Parts: sequence; C-alpha cells; structure tokens
Amino acid sequence: MHLWADLEELKLLEGKFSDIQIEKTENFTSITVKKEDLLNALGFLKEDLGYKMFIDLTAVDYYPQEPRFLCVYILFSPDKKKRIAVKCWAENDSVPSVISLWKGAKWAEREVYDLFGIKFEGHNNLVRMFLWEGYKYHPLRKDFPKEGIQEVYLPSLNLRPEEIPAHNYSPYHTYVPTMEELEKTQKSRMEKRSQIVLNWGPLHPGTHGTIWFLFDMEGETIKNCEIILGQLHRGIEKLAEDLTYTQIIPYTDRMDYISALCSQVAYVNTVEKLLGVEPPEKAKWIRTMMCELQRINSHLLWLGTYALDLGALTIFLYAFREREKIMDIIEGIAGIRLNSTYIRIGGLSKDLPEGALDVIKHFLQDFPEKLDEYETILTKNRIWLRRNLNIGIVNKEQVYQYGLTGVVARSAGVPYDIRMLQPTDAYDKVDFDIPLGRVGDCYDRYLIRMEEMRQSLRIIEQCVEKIEKLKDDKHISTENPYVLPTLDEVFNSIESMVKDFNLRIYGEQAPEGEIYMSGENPRGELGFYIVSKGDGKPYRIKIRSGAFYNLQIFPELIKGRTVADAVALLGSLDPVVGETDR
Amino acid sequence: MELLGTVIGVTVKSLIFIIVMFLAAAYLTLLERKFAGHVQQRPGPLHVGPHGFLQPIADALKVLTKEDLVPDSVDKVLFYMASLLAFVPAIMILAVVPFGEPFTIFGLEIKPYVTDLNIAILLALAFGSLSIYGVIFAGWASNSKYPMIGGLRKAAVLIGYEVALGFAMVGPIMQAGSFSLREIVEAQSGMWFIIPNILAFVVIIFAILAETGRTPFDVQEAEAELVGGYVTEYTGMKFGLFPLAEWYIATFVLSAIAVILFFGGWQPLPLMGWLPIPDIIWFFIKVFLLFMFFLWVHWTLPRYRVDQITELAWKVMLPLALANILVVALWIIFIG
Amino acid sequence: MVKIKYVERPELTNRERIFFVDFIKGMRVTFRNLLRKTVTTAFPFEKLTPPKRFRGTHAHRVKNGKEPPSFKVIEKFMDIDTGESRCVACYMCMQACPVPFLFNIEAVQLPDGRKKVVRFDMNLLNCMYCGLCTEACPVDCLIMTDIYETASYHRASCVLHIDDMAKRGIDFDRRRYDEPDRIWIDDDQRSKLWGQIKWS
Repeated sequence: MHLWADLEELKLLEGKFSDIQIEKTENFTSITVKKEDLLNALGFLKEDLGYKMFIDLTAVDYYPQEPRFLCVYILFSPDKKKRIAVKCWAENDSVPSVISLWKGAKWAEREVYDLFGIKFEGHNNLVRMFLWEGYKYHPLRKDFPKEGIQEVYLPSLNLRPEEIPAHNYSPYHTYVPTMEELEKTQKSRMEKRSQIVLNWGPLHPGTHGTIWFLFDMEGETIKNCEIILGQLHRGIEKLAEDLTYTQIIPYTDRMDYISALCSQVAYVNTVEKLLGVEPPEKAKWIRTMMCELQRINSHLLWLGTYALDLGALTIFLYAFREREKIMDIIEGIAGIRLNSTYIRIGGLSKDLPEGALDVIKHFLQDFPEKLDEYETILTKNRIWLRRNLNIGIVNKEQVYQYGLTGVVARSAGVPYDIRMLQPTDAYDKVDFDIPLGRVGDCYDRYLIRMEEMRQSLRIIEQCVEKIEKLKDDKHISTENPYVLPTLDEVFNSIESMVKDFNLRIYGEQAPEGEIYMSGENPRGELGFYIVSKGDGKPYRIKIRSGAFYNLQIFPELIKGRTVADAVALLGSLDPVVGETDR
Repeated sequence: MELLGTVIGVTVKSLIFIIVMFLAAAYLTLLERKFAGHVQQRPGPLHVGPHGFLQPIADALKVLTKEDLVPDSVDKVLFYMASLLAFVPAIMILAVVPFGEPFTIFGLEIKPYVTDLNIAILLALAFGSLSIYGVIFAGWASNSKYPMIGGLRKAAVLIGYEVALGFAMVGPIMQAGSFSLREIVEAQSGMWFIIPNILAFVVIIFAILAETGRTPFDVQEAEAELVGGYVTEYTGMKFGLFPLAEWYIATFVLSAIAVILFFGGWQPLPLMGWLPIPDIIWFFIKVFLLFMFFLWVHWTLPRYRVDQITELAWKVMLPLALANILVVALWIIFIG
Repeated sequence: MVKIKYVERPELTNRERIFFVDFIKGMRVTFRNLLRKTVTTAFPFEKLTPPKRFRGTHAHRVKNGKEPPSFKVIEKFMDIDTGESRCVACYMCMQACPVPFLFNIEAVQLPDGRKKVVRFDMNLLNCMYCGLCTEACPVDCLIMTDIYETASYHRASCVLHIDDMAKRGIDFDRRRYDEPDRIWIDDDQRSKLWGQIKWS
C-alpha cells in the first residue's frame, strides 16, 4: 500500500517557496528546503495541506561534506493517510526549532543535539537527552570511533590481571560518569520551587526499568516533573553502522525486549522493502502468528505489572502463568524464550517443528476463560474504577502534537494502527477489529488492551487454519540473491556455499537510497529510517521508538496529581526502557 | 499471701500468653504464605521441614542475625523507640481479652485470661491508639523523604479509622450493658450480636483492614510508590517487628475482639453445641476463620489511594457507625 | 477486513454497590484458584528438558562418519583424525557473529600442505546466544547444546576451547542426535502446566 504523498500536492509547494527540490521514489518522498524557509514550509504543510501529525525528527551526518548535517522531519496526515519527509541542511550546525508547531519535537531535538551537536534556535531548554552534563563529545558523528575515546583508567576492572579473558581487552575505558556529574545533572534539570524535590529514582521498584523522574512536590501533589533518560542507552544506532543487515537482527530484539518478535518483524519488513525481497506465503502467515502471540505476551506482562503496582497482587502471578505457556511455545519454535532471533531477511530461520500447531490450538482453547477471570476480578471492581477513571486524559490534539501512537492514540479516538494503514505480511488477509476509546483515560487504555488480546486470539486462529493447508511450502525464499541460504542447501551445493560466504563477508549490497517504514509494536509505532549508500552495511539507521514519544506526555499529564496517580499513569503509558533509551 | 499468689499467677499467665503469642504469630506467617501461594497456584514454602513447617524458625533466625544498619543522621532515641512503640501496644491488648470460661484442672481453678476488668474495651481501644505514635516516630526519626511521606499518610489513615472503630463498638456495648468483654460474651447466649449490628460489622471489617495495613488499605506497603514507606531505613529485627506487629499480632488480636463482640466469643456455633469441644477451641476456630477471611481479601483486591481512604473513613464509615447506634437503640426499645 | 470497534465502559449498579457484589465475584475467582493444583516445577529437584532447538552453550561436532557432503570436499586439505572436531578454519562463524572479537581462531599450515586448527576460543562473556554462527558453519561443526548452567567463579573459565567443545559435542550427540524435531519431548513434566494436549 502506497503511503507516501502524491506529486500534485508537492507541486503546490514549488509555487510558494523558491529553491525546493522534490525527490520521489517508491520507498521515500522528500522535499529539501533551505534553512530560512523551513518554518514556513512546515507551517504550510501542517495548516494548509493537513500533515498535522508529527512522526519523527532525525539527522544524518555526511562527514567530509560541508554542510555536514542533514535534518529530516517525517510527518503524517491522518485524513489523507499519507506521509511526507522534509529535509534541511544545517548550515553552521544550527537549525530553527519547530517546537512552536509541534510540542513533541522537544525531546527529539534534544536527542539530536545530544548525539550530533546541532543547535536548535528557539528551543527553551536545550540540554542533553541521554548523556550527562559535562560530557564533551557527540557520539553519533562519523569522526567519533565506535569504541569511544578510551582515556579513563578504571582500576576496578583491572584488579586481577591474570584473569582477563577477552582478546581485545584494554585497560583504558571510555568515559564513565561519576557521582558528582550525576548530581550536577540532576540539579541542572530541575530547580526547586515548591516544598521538596523527590527523586523517583533510577533504581525503584515502581518505574518499569531505570527511568529517573524528578518530582517537584507540594505536600502530595506534583507541581512539576522532569525525566532524565539514558540509564540504559547502549548506542544501537552507532553499532549498527558497522554490521551487515542480518547481523543487526539480534540487536533489534534487545531494544523492546518484551515484544522481541514484533520488533524483528518491523525491521525485516523495512529491509525487505529496501532490497526488494518477497518472502514466501507460509513465512508471512507464520510471522503474523508469532507477532500476535508476542502481542498477547506483552499485554499480559503489562497487565501483571500494572495490577501489581496498583495493589492486586495475585493478578501478577496469574498473568505470568499464562506467559509461561506462550514462552514455552516460543522456545519450542525459535530456541530461546526471550530474545528469539527467529526472523530472517526473506522468511524465517527454521520451519515450525512438529506438534507446534497442536500446542497453539490447545492454548487458544484455554486462554479465553483465563481472560474472563482477570476481567471478573478487575473490570467492575470499584477500587479499580476509582484508581483509573479520569486519570491521564489524552485528547486528539495532543496525539497529533506529540506523535503519540499505539494504544495511547487509540484511547483518544484516533484510529492510528499500522496494521490497518500499511499492512505487511498477512495482515491484509485476516479479519480483526481495532478497539478505540472515547474518553482517553487510563481505564480506556486498560479496556483497549484487554480487547486487543481477544482480537489477537482471533488472528491466531485464522493463521493456524491457513498454515495447516500450507504445510509443504518453503519457509525462506532462497532463490533471491539477497537471501542467506539454509543449512541443508549449504551442505549439499557449492553455489549455495559461495553465496553464503559472499553474503556474510560483504553483506547484502543494498541499492542506494533511503526508506522509512514502520510496524505496530504493542507499545506504539516502531519505525526504521535507513539510509544506504550501496554498501553491505547501512550508512545510518534511525529507530523511531513508540515508547520514547509516548513517554513525553507524562510530565504534561501529571501536573496537579499525586504520586499514586503517577504510578497508574506510568503503567498505562507502558514504556519499556530498552526502547526509550535504545 | 493472697497478694503474692495473685502476683505470681498474673506473671506466669502473662509470660505464657506472650510466648504463645510469639509462636502463634510466627506460624501465622507460614499460614499466610501457604495461603497466598495456593491462591496463586504455587506451593509456597516447601523444602524447609516437611511442607515448610520449619520455615518460620528459619525466618526468625535470619532476621535476628542480619546486619543492623543505623544511618548516621537519624534521631537515635526516637528511631529505637518507634519499633517498640509499634509492637508493645499490640501485645498489651492481650491483657484484657478473655479466651474462655474458667475451668478446673487437678482442683485448681484456672481463668484463661489475665484480668477481667470492667472497662476492658476502653483499655483495648486506648492501647490500639498508642501504636500511632510508633508510626509517626518512625517516619520522623528516619530523616529522609520517603519515610516522612509514608509516616504521614499512615498516621492520617489510622486516626480516621480509630474514630470509626470506636463508634462502631458502641452498638454491642449498648446491647450488653457493660464494657467488660466477658459480660458481653455472656449476654450473647440468646442471640449473637451480629444480627442487629450488621452495619457495625461492616465498619469493623474495614477498620481492621485499615488499622493493620492490609490491602485495600495498605498505603504503607505500596512498594511501587514509596519503596518501603516508614520502614525504609530499618533493617534486621527492628524491621522485623513492624510487620509482625501490624500484620499478624494486631490482626489476630483485633479479630479476637471482633469475634467477642459479634460472634458470641467462645460459645459453640449454632446447631453444633453437642460436640465435645472445649470453649477455648471454639474461640480459636472462629478467630482463625476471621483471620483467613482477612487474608483472602488481602490477596484479591487492589489498593485505594490515600485521599480516597480518608474520604471513605470520614464520609462513609462514620455515618454508618452512627446509623448503627440508632438501629440498635430502636431494637432495644422495641424488641429486647 | 479490518473494522473499528468502540470499547464499552461498564457502570456499577446500585445493587452491586450496596451488597459488594464486585468484591464477592472477584473473591470467588481467587477461592476457585485456591482449590486447583499447583502448576510449578520444583527446580532443582525436577527439571524440564529443553527442546532440540534450544540455544545453550556451544559445542563442536567431531569426525565420525556422519558429516555432510560439503565436508568431504574440504577434507583432503585438512589434518583431522576421527574423534577430533571437524572445524576447517573457514572463519565463517567469526564473520557472522554480531559481536566483534568474540572468536579467536588460528590455523597453521603443515609442511605437507594441509591445515590444522590450533586454537578456537570463544569468549562466552560477550556472547548474545543469537545462533548466527551455527547457521554459518558449512560443515555442520558448530552447534548449540542444551546446557544452560554455565556460571563460574572466574572470568577465564567462561572462555571455551576446542577440546572441551569437542567433548561436549560428543556428549550431546550421544544423548540427543536421534531425537525427532518436536516442540518438546517431556510431555509428562509439562502436563502440570499445560494439562492434556491432543496431538495429531
């Protein structure tokens, strides 16, 4: 399904602004404007042409070229259902800030400043996003080496010199923050205006991972809130510039580690579109089925931890009992329960083992009555209602301004679901419903997630029926020149062995170009923006994570509420720190 | 001579009561863990002793031998006193609770209670209110933000529910005509006081859940919000005394008082009076059933927010308790 | 066909409020679960057997007559005896691995022209257990076994060498080479959690 803007609309822009270049390929449509016209062009796109939803903001570094940074803005129009990208070269390393048009650009611009060093004129609080105050470098620039600048001698890592096993171990390490620097970061992010500043700190049983919240509180009500991210920042985008497209797949499932298969499917779909590879029919149906199983898994974990935070302690263990079953299924099919690198470019790594479909059918019969049990305990319970009704209300304007996606957008009534807008794999051949809410509070998000679990069961039933008929089909399309051959082919034919060697050493030589495509994670829209220069390794990968943009609305919604509501709101926005920090 | 005999008798009985209460509280922890485990379809403690029977002893040894860290900036006197003040009043209530009718063994007449005061209920309420000091001292002396917020929250909740508890107890007192717990049990030989006092029973259930800090009112154990509340800075046995006192001893003792007030104390269950079971055993059976009911509620329901709890206490529980007094007064005038 | 559906927000009736019906229904569910059997396995006294595809510690298959045709082509260039690991030092596993510097492979050329592998170290402290190396090996040498208990007290003992990998490969093949590729093989232990499954 073609999701990029039409040429006739773009011609309107040519009339209004001078010196515009329009590029339109099948995978990406972009307009390049000059720095002076940027705000006017974006304003025209937003007001007059209807591209009001903010999807992503990123930058690419073309190092020896001058000017070296290129800023890319991706926008979406919910009425026409089309996307467009706007590019702008950052002359003198600075670009005007767009937070007057979209409030969601605040964190995106801070991230670009942190990792590239581009200054945004007009931003009210341009501080670093992931790294600490006082760090001197900007890591994603092309002249910053992958291992970091190794200048710090850490004695604790070198205590026993006879014990060092790694082959490239060096006693000098890249710079690591000290306690004083962390305290300086905390003080500079939040100034104390009310009674106390509470550190809902990086190590806390209630925040889902290591997120650091600073609350400026008066009694029990929160007057101001600030979030410090970056405790789990691993630099996946930097590492990916040195790996082939197949080697990046294990990294994609460590970002959102709870819904690993969905992230892999989104990434592999993007790369397949870029390379022009079509997986076989059976692989598409199996991918859809595993994606929906993983969606149920992720929503069950959300239900367990959300109920645990709000006090219902048994639902946690009931949800984990069901998760054990799903993880047994995934372990039998892929090999490992959590970080299952199962999807490959062109299909799957292994076919389904015997007995898998019987087990899945047994699970499908068993699960709906367990869902009814959870609903009996929670849905009409008056305590649950009092903790969830009318807390954290999101309206449609906030969805467009902040770029909220996933369940948060659907609870406000915006029907934004990538499975409906750009269906890949077998999503255009199955019947299912997309639940929407009317009010946009935490209770709506709870109801939507419970309903999504039931709809996922419907999809899995239809997939199981179809896969039983496709038993003899292949699971990976190895005749395509970009696809790695299976082990049986390598054992028995020399051409496959040579193809295997070439693809592993030189990588999949992608055609030159760029692409942006996304998939529906349980947490939101997970998008991949890949710039390729004809090499086996990507030149730049930007991961647009849904949890990062969803978390941005938290400080806005929590003002005036108590700490107990902060727990409920954070749980219902459902961030996973691996994805917000990457 | 008689004075010496009374003093020795009271001392021996108090020692027996305290030691048995400790052991009972330890085994109540095992009961709770097995119950919680089976509700969640897992076995609970299983390997320490047959089916986990020696687990409470292992826990007690662990808590006693843990390193006892006291931060530098705490107020030492209040810090040490707080855990005692939370624990001692709960045990002191035992001094006024009667467990059965006096019986004779080997010619000696033994009364299974320490004292039989004629203002027993008032003393029980007074001792219960002393434990609020423990909470406030713990929150204040820890000199840190989380304990302070936790202590203030809990103190607000406890004050509201003490008032409701007091008013709810007026119903059975009016019907029995005395404050002494033994006379209240004897006044129930015709009909148990649960029937006219159903509103007061509901109020007492909520009040006991709030006093002892169990869900749906456990703002204290709200780990997700406040890490540990007012016990964050406590370690070792000082920490161990807090949940022991609140969750187990106070629940047990308050359930005992509730059974005496509403369910006929040590009288046998209706239609089962012909079984040859002594009074004390009936009393313990009823108290254990009520204790299991509290556990069942704890492991099912989510928790309220703190302002919703205090709203519930002052706007719903107190009017219900007052309405109950009106109903009992009308019952006494027209029926009994 | 994708359709949009609005969720319904249920309201509590007055009768339910006064008689605490919502609490009672929830507590009935908990009570029913109290009476069911437990579903846990008492690790370490009972253990579940991992499936054949499980990705545990690595091992090398040895030359024992069951090699694929691709090995026979390269065999004449290598100095490998029966019972020694089949590795032909093609460096494909090192190329496929997403972690740099995890493998340390060295092979020497003997005076009669054949190659011999002298060192094959894998630093498992950096390993992601993704399995891309096993899919790259062209002679079915590098495999992943079902051993998952590999904790140790020293960093140096987390590095695998070629002789203990060969021993582990012999042991794994002796136990599980002839197993069918089924989703799991220990039906009785898993029936505690799953109940009875109808196999086709």
